Amino acid sequence: MVWKLLRKNISVGQIIGYSLASLIGMAIVISAVKFYADVNTALNDEDSFISKDYIIISKPVSAAGTIGLGGGATFSKGEIAEIKAQPWTRDVGEFTAADFNVEAAINLGGHGMATHLFFESIPDKFFDIKSDDWTFEAPDSYYPASNADDIEIPIVMSKDYLTLYNFGYATGRGMPQLTEGLIKSIPITFYLSGNGHRDRYRGRIVGFSSRLNTIAVPENFITWANKRYAPYSDTKPSRLIIEANTPGDPAINQFLEAHGYEVAGDKADNGKANYFLTVATTIVITVGVIITLLAFFILMLSIYLLLQKNRRKLQDLMLLGYSPWQVSRPYAKLIVAINATVLCLAVAVMMLASGYWTTRFDAIGITGASPWSAIIVGLIISATVSLLNIAAICRIVRRNFYIT
Amino acid sequence: MQRINSIKLENVLPTVFAGSEHDEPVASSSVWCHKLEFRRPDSYMIEAESGTGKSSLCAYIYGSRRDYSGSIRFNDRDIRTFSMNDWCELRRHHIAYLPQEMRLFPELTVMENIMVKNRLTDTFSANEIVDLLTLLGIENKVNQPAGRLSVGQQQRVAILRAIAQPFDFIILDEPVSHLDRRNNNTVSQLIADVARRNDASIITTSVGNPLLIKDIEGFHSVQSIKL
Repeated sequence: MVWKLLRKNISVGQIIGYSLASLIGMAIVISAVKFYADVNTALNDEDSFISKDYIIISKPVSAAGTIGLGGGATFSKGEIAEIKAQPWTRDVGEFTAADFNVEAAINLGGHGMATHLFFESIPDKFFDIKSDDWTFEAPDSYYPASNADDIEIPIVMSKDYLTLYNFGYATGRGMPQLTEGLIKSIPITFYLSGNGHRDRYRGRIVGFSSRLNTIAVPENFITWANKRYAPYSDTKPSRLIIEANTPGDPAINQFLEAHGYEVAGDKADNGKANYFLTVATTIVITVGVIITLLAFFILMLSIYLLLQKNRRKLQDLMLLGYSPWQVSRPYAKLIVAINATVLCLAVAVMMLASGYWTTRFDAIGITGASPWSAIIVGLIISATVSLLNIAAICRIVRRNFYIT
Repeated sequence: MQRINSIKLENVLPTVFAGSEHDEPVASSSVWCHKLEFRRPDSYMIEAESGTGKSSLCAYIYGSRRDYSGSIRFNDRDIRTFSMNDWCELRRHHIAYLPQEMRLFPELTVMENIMVKNRLTDTFSANEIVDLLTLLGIENKVNQPAGRLSVGQQQRVAILRAIAQPFDFIILDEPVSHLDRRNNNTVSQLIADVARRNDASIITTSVGNPLLIKDIEGFHSVQSIKL
């Protein structure tokens, strides 16, 4: 009955106008968010919405270095401090190399293989692999080599190595191809030697990293093993891993070029792509937000007009003992209903649009991200707009409680 | 909230009369700039010429207008201290009000106009409302939009809406100005009955055609006040 009174003067035209404008704005915003999430999944192994970017840098190998004159390819403490001080640097990690001999032996279905290897480590927080096996407990005291089976060294390998083995070595040599899961279950025997020791250890691959182009072991293992097998060497890091605040920031490239540092892999290109993606998405989202804001003001204006026209009715109802909230509630419901409808339609548009581009992405092997981040962004916008409108309605109604 | 036993006016003066305290109509008024108490269950008849501010007085007591100086107290509490929620509670259970301009909703039917109040207070059943409409001779208008009724008919609908709640005081601003003597008698009898049932006071105004409660036998004392 109250609704019968208050619905008077509601302009269907204005509501449709608002809904359309709001739908366009909202659809643009959440589609852009979804697109960003989709492409971002493809560019980053991490599934996080705001991606961190890691850059691995080294110094160029010089001819002098090759023939053993002067070790210019390592980073000094001063150089590391300088990189740390850059505004785009969130953190810097050093690669620590093993200064001893490593031999690895595996047994694959009767085929024995043995090879010389190397180990490196970086601080654990730079790893993109989270594994419970990634631990190493240093033995308290000196122990005989015969007990070495008690100690297992977890290692993380570059994904590239597995690819190299599967598609290069194994096919060429008639060896079985290996999956990640299978290779993780293969026991490896390591022989570490140096400083007059030669010990046997069990080893296992616990993960594959696409970020690290190396064979990595836990940092505390390297520290411990270097002490045991190479107590007198003092190695400087030859490679650094940088976690950047702003992926693809041109300042990073300028800095690296100015200092003549080399970037490993195509991570920097990914970073650039990521940077352009971020810029493009930001522009699109801004346009969407502006349209949504304009739509919001249309609705606000329409509500002011409506309440002005229905002012007398609002006052009369409150004279009868209706509370300001009882009078505002029908309008609040209307607004929530409109915004919920707009949100549902916008999500539908987003799904349709993302269906259009994901079929194209599928063709190049990219799987889309979950739509929830986009839907949640839409929900937040919709809820904010509704709450602001309802607050405005309540304020106007309360202002009309006393006639003078 | 407890029942209201007294309404006290102290030096109340509408803002529009400020500065003309010694001119007419304030100078000869026994309400403006005076102390005055309405005590339940006595009833009061406020007689005045138009333009003296009687509708303003009703609106001040009902809390819908606050453009006055001085103080109005319910049970010794200044009504300016009431919150909006307090007023909602007062208007549902303690003070009934019939404004002079009635303030019916023209697009709602007669029944809906009464129900819009009644649903807040649950005072009458639909059948009781029809009985009351019958008593006032407008039962055939029950489903007609109030806007299509004559002023006299609207006045009777507005009276029914005003009594569709429990009350301690009922303020009736020229309730029968468009009713003939026969209808006035019926309405007066009805209002007096309801007031008696609620153990409540009637405060009514008139400019010449007063509510005829003084004629009702055995009704509480009715004081006349000249505004």
